[in-house]
Amino acid sequence: MSKLPPDFVQMFRVSLRSDPQYLEALRTLISETTNILGLEEEVTTKIVLAVTEACANVIRHCYGGAHGERMDVTLRFGPDFYEVQIDDWGTFVDPATMKGRELEDVKPGGLGLHFMHKVMTSVEFKKNQWGGTTLTMVKKLKPASSAESSQGSSAGTPEREE
Amino acid sequence: MAMKVNREEHGQDLVLAVEGSVDIASSPELRGELRVAVEAKRPRIVIDMSGVSFVDSSGLATLIEALQGTSGYGGKLCLCCLSTTVRGVFELANLDSIFSISGTREEALQA
Repeated sequence: MSKLPPDFVQMFRVSLRSDPQYLEALRTLISETTNILGLEEEVTTKIVLAVTEACANVIRHCYGGAHGERMDVTLRFGPDFYEVQIDDWGTFVDPATMKGRELEDVKPGGLGLHFMHKVMTSVEFKKNQWGGTTLTMVKKLKPASSAESSQGSSAGTPEREE
Repeated sequence: MAMKVNREEHGQDLVLAVEGSVDIASSPELRGELRVAVEAKRPRIVIDMSGVSFVDSSGLATLIEALQGTSGYGGKLCLCCLSTTVRGVFELANLDSIFSISGTREEALQA
């Protein structure tokens, strides 16, 4: 019998190079943890997309494309939320100056920030103690028990997205 | 999963069957393949995405660039066989109505 409370928050932290080749491994880690939570594939894809876009922004904008810098990614999750924190040691980019494009203006680029805001419940950029950026994104979830009861007795994975 | 691109000639048309993730790491390779096809003014370029497990904004930017390139000379860029999750990313960006998206490769070659 577990001695931990049901709302115990689990955490994974990885430190990786600011190199796009490591993002596939990060996506696998996220998918494995969302499997633990029993999230639907659609919700997992959204979280994975937001994190990929955020890390791509760190590489492009905070590190100017340099691949040998440090990014720390912390995943915290409990019954009703999934949080991702990304710390970098690069140049702080004021979120007010970051502007995605209008969706109607179809052209390459400018979608990353739009995706992050669209798929996560909250997105917050802060200048951190190292002069870089700490990005915190949270996805609120329906607790599995309430998702199951609202789903009734129908088969399949209960919807957990709020 | 690392991206792979397989080329298949259909007369003057070209099918690129893509496998794996199309993201910031891999999209430059796909962009290179598409640029060659656009420069050759292929009448139709079909991108078979049945093997694509993930696409991000870099991948979408690559496809938008190719779409604009083919439109520039009156050619066509058609996508086919998108998984539900990949199609979901197109929908998030409202791009599902911008691209010609077919259910099968055969349909895409005739769209």
